[in-house]
Amino acid sequence: MLRVIVYLFVPVDVLLTTTWVRAHASVPEELYVPLRIGRLLPLPTPGPWVEVFQVVLVVAALLAAAAAVVDRLPRLTGWLVALLYLEWMVVAMSYGKVDHDRFAFLIALLVLPSVGRAALRSREQSEAAGWALSMIALAVVATYTLAAVAKIRFGGWDWVDGATLTRAVLRRGTGMAEPLLDVPMVLHAAQYGLMVMELAVAPLLLVRWRDPRWGWGLALVFLGFHLMTFALITIIFLPHCIALLSLLPLERAVRPAPCAPA
Amino acid sequence: MLPVAGRRARSAVTVVLALLVLAGTFVGQDDDFPFGPFRMYATRDDPDGLVRSARVEAVDGEGRLRTVDERSTGLKRAEVEGQVDRFVAAPQTLGLLAQAHSRLRPDEPPLVEVRVVERAYVLRDSRPTGEQTETVVARWTAP
Repeated sequence: MLRVIVYLFVPVDVLLTTTWVRAHASVPEELYVPLRIGRLLPLPTPGPWVEVFQVVLVVAALLAAAAAVVDRLPRLTGWLVALLYLEWMVVAMSYGKVDHDRFAFLIALLVLPSVGRAALRSREQSEAAGWALSMIALAVVATYTLAAVAKIRFGGWDWVDGATLTRAVLRRGTGMAEPLLDVPMVLHAAQYGLMVMELAVAPLLLVRWRDPRWGWGLALVFLGFHLMTFALITIIFLPHCIALLSLLPLERAVRPAPCAPA
Repeated sequence: MLPVAGRRARSAVTVVLALLVLAGTFVGQDDDFPFGPFRMYATRDDPDGLVRSARVEAVDGEGRLRTVDERSTGLKRAEVEGQVDRFVAAPQTLGLLAQAHSRLRPDEPPLVEVRVVERAYVLRDSRPTGEQTETVVARWTAP
């Protein structure tokens, strides 16, 4: 189920939610500043071919989603999408701004092909699937925890007492967020809250609770946090949210395969 | 059960990915994508300092002033800000945005002037004082 969602999200991402990547096809090549990965690998400079590449990527992702549904060739189609999407990311991030919203999603694309064949409605336990899901969950948690580390590295220990969220609201605040500028105490407290959430609460996502509903609830709280961020400063880590779904028991969303008669 | 080779391969991949992302977080930069540090909003802003925000403004052939975004120049605000030093050092580079605009919006009159305008908000105790300044930091005009 997660595979279908992940692969179907690729066309959503490429065609709807990050349309600016395609616009790079029209940007003169002098403004292309390739990342290290783009300098190490012999990748072509983006140009009009990016528009064709977009179609290829979308078709590959739809094929991979279909492959996951009918349980045919999941590895081949999965690898193809992983490679094409990585190149799409080089096109996306090589113009002066790197986004940090899709590490876990990239890990998902990388590890999902290793699961191999697994019927959509199967309730069988598989070590291969277990490894893939654990990797995605670890990547989700790493994104939060290492983001806190980065705040300490770049902002210093007094990041929490800075005015970073004031900057965020001034630059991108929605009508809902602007009143917060008059109560800096709330934004100041939110900086402490963020740090605690990233450092202390996120690792709890990895805990195997005696009652699994605790873990699911926690995952939903984090999804809620991303929705709130979107409402306040119109930034949403959508690919990350898709990876976050790996913590929910998605296999329950489809009816189990009927048991073979004994 | 996974075969031994499969287990070894997965363990190796796990260790390599973990080392890469840890290295990226502690000593890496954005350039090391996808293993660079997760530095969204990681810099600290001085509660009594300035908050800067850049935008691209353009004047088209009919003399109209326009604020342009990635849909008409192909670069987002954050990307313009990421390369702003280049635009300031060599303002003729802004002409490239006019070129991109002609490709993306062939039906619109071409841009004859492109400028990067930086707005600075003054903060006091993390609260905007209402005082703000605007400066043109780079300007290109069609030859």
